[in-house]
Amino acid sequence: MGSVALRDIRKSYGAVEVLHGIDLDVADGEFVVLVGPSGCGKSTLLRSLAGLETISGGEISIDGSSIVHLHPKSRDIAMVFQNYALYPHMNVAKNMGFPLQMAKVSKSEIDEKVAKAAEILSLTQMLKRYPKQLSGGQRQRVAMGRAIVRDPKVFLFDEPLSNLDAALRVQMRTEIKGLHQRLGTTIVYVTHDQIEAMTMADKIVVMKDGHVEQIGAPLDLYDRPANRFVAGFIGSPAMNFMPAKVENGQAVLENGAVLAPAPEGLTEGQAFTAGVRPEHLMVADQGASANVTVVEPTGAELQFVVDLAGTPTLVSTRDRLHLRLGDTLHLEVEAGRLHAFDSETGVRLG
Amino acid sequence: MNRSSDRWLAYFLILPVVAAVLAFVLGPTWDVATLSLTQFVMGQERGFGTLVNFEALWADPVFGTVVVNTAIWILGGTVFCVLTGLAVGAYLAIDSKVTTALRALILLPWVLPDVVTAMAWKWMLHGQVGVIGDAFTRVGLSDQPISFLGDPDLVMWMLVIVLVWRKMPLVALILCAAIRSVPAEQIEAARMDGANAFQRFRHVILPNISFSLTAVTVISMIWITAEFTLPWVMTGGGPANSSQIMSTYIYQQSFQFFNWGVGSAMSVVNLVFLMAVVGLYLYINRRSWAAGGSK
Ligand SMILES: Nc1ncnc2c1ncn2[C@@H]1O[C@H](COP(=O)(O)OP(=O)(O)OP(=O)(O)O)[C@@H](O)[C@H]1O
Ligand SMILES: [Mg+2]
Repeated sequence: MGSVALRDIRKSYGAVEVLHGIDLDVADGEFVVLVGPSGCGKSTLLRSLAGLETISGGEISIDGSSIVHLHPKSRDIAMVFQNYALYPHMNVAKNMGFPLQMAKVSKSEIDEKVAKAAEILSLTQMLKRYPKQLSGGQRQRVAMGRAIVRDPKVFLFDEPLSNLDAALRVQMRTEIKGLHQRLGTTIVYVTHDQIEAMTMADKIVVMKDGHVEQIGAPLDLYDRPANRFVAGFIGSPAMNFMPAKVENGQAVLENGAVLAPAPEGLTEGQAFTAGVRPEHLMVADQGASANVTVVEPTGAELQFVVDLAGTPTLVSTRDRLHLRLGDTLHLEVEAGRLHAFDSETGVRLG
Repeated sequence: MNRSSDRWLAYFLILPVVAAVLAFVLGPTWDVATLSLTQFVMGQERGFGTLVNFEALWADPVFGTVVVNTAIWILGGTVFCVLTGLAVGAYLAIDSKVTTALRALILLPWVLPDVVTAMAWKWMLHGQVGVIGDAFTRVGLSDQPISFLGDPDLVMWMLVIVLVWRKMPLVALILCAAIRSVPAEQIEAARMDGANAFQRFRHVILPNISFSLTAVTVISMIWITAEFTLPWVMTGGGPANSSQIMSTYIYQQSFQFFNWGVGSAMSVVNLVFLMAVVGLYLYINRRSWAAGGSK
């Protein structure tokens, strides 16, 4: 069992408050990903959970009992660090066995557990090597092994993949996901890479400036972002935003071109910020007209930027269009894919 | 420019250094070595290629005391210097206002001239007028004034204490810097892994600073072996040779009694010992050197 509850977590460094009351529930066995831009407090929140930082206020509990006053080692939580934090003077087996050695587990039991973890992580051949003799991906696996052997209630990961190259990152992503399915342990995972978040998470927590912006399943966040920040942060390439107005039940751009039917909940004449994902804009025979300014074929899909009523707007499509700079075309929004946000507060409308 | 002229240029460029080493290191060493094999009578040379100086040294009743004292001085001094340096360095590595101030203050013993240190301690430890002995009697630790430097059983250890006071600060600062450069993540990982403060020190910090630790140990050993002013000014080898160590004895034999032969023979013994220390150091660190300084 390993359900985690955070209530009104606050953390200040001197006079500066960096976490402004975070509430979060993690169910047993859930894979929760914290995302947000750099400096938003993800690591601070994770380290508070681990006990490496003392919080200034709030309540943390695991399986219903408070752990705020416990030392890191008594919290039954294991953490994997961004720089792996392996002990350079110990070989792989010693590194992985270290938590057990500290817990005064017998030698034979340590060997057994390390061998088992090494097998799960395909490290059996590497047990006698030292960290400097391993590749980045292997080091990452050793760091995970050190967490696994303890069989903790919760795993914490702080940007574990950010030191790896792109291909390895994709591979390790799958491995961590597979590990989670196999062990079924609760995971709280920090990243600033929203693709990592989308692909791995059961539940995503989007943070900004020490606040939680939205909590939800990956597709909920993609389909119904709670505000403009989340809308822009989740999804790649990012959502396009443009000023618009409701006229005759239609969302109309600044130059009078009609984009799509206005989303429900908006009143006639109301000004708002329209949001459309690049993949939801389609080239059509009619609709708002736009000039092509940049064309970028990526192979699988074609991305191009158009000037839509004065706003540079990215469109991506799987169709093999033959576009040249300066071409004029018409764009439509896929039905029900137009998002509306308050122009001032950024809150979702309707 | 061709290859061979390049090479001559290279030789030419290192010539000044080679000349300096020859003149100031190898030359005097050679002199001492030949001197030790030359017999002197009343300051006059009487034949080369003899071992009489070494035989005289061996027969000298003070030589045994000198060897024991030198062992206390070098080994005791090094061990206490490094151990207290490690303890103080570990304390200074903690982040706080007090330690930040102390990190600067602790160098005070280091910047005082040797002679000043030696004289100050000599008077503080003086049997009749010393403040330390006075404090001891006042507190009631002793009935009569203790003559710290006058007691043959005590004097060597007093010298070691003063030596540690003087040499430890730099050791502490070097080790403090080494401890502070241990990656914070490793220490945090150890905390998560359930290691208490002592275990973190033993299993994470100590292995990480092992390179600095061996370096500082050997350097202290060399400093201490070469230290002369402190013991000479404080006791001059007395009372009755009971604090005579190699460096003071060499000085006394050579420049007070003009016993060049015995003095140089002792210097050779000293040199062999120092080379053994350096050799041991290079041997211990052979892997680290190959790996570019870090483990
Ligand atoms: N020891 C500290 N003292 C003062 N401020 C700190 C300290 N540690 C972090 N902060 C501040 O707290 C805020 C949150 O930092 P945190 O490391 O949690 O960000 P993050 O979301 O993990 O960012 P990144 O994605 O870059 O790792 C930052 O604004 C940072 O400047
Ligand atoms: Mg971070």
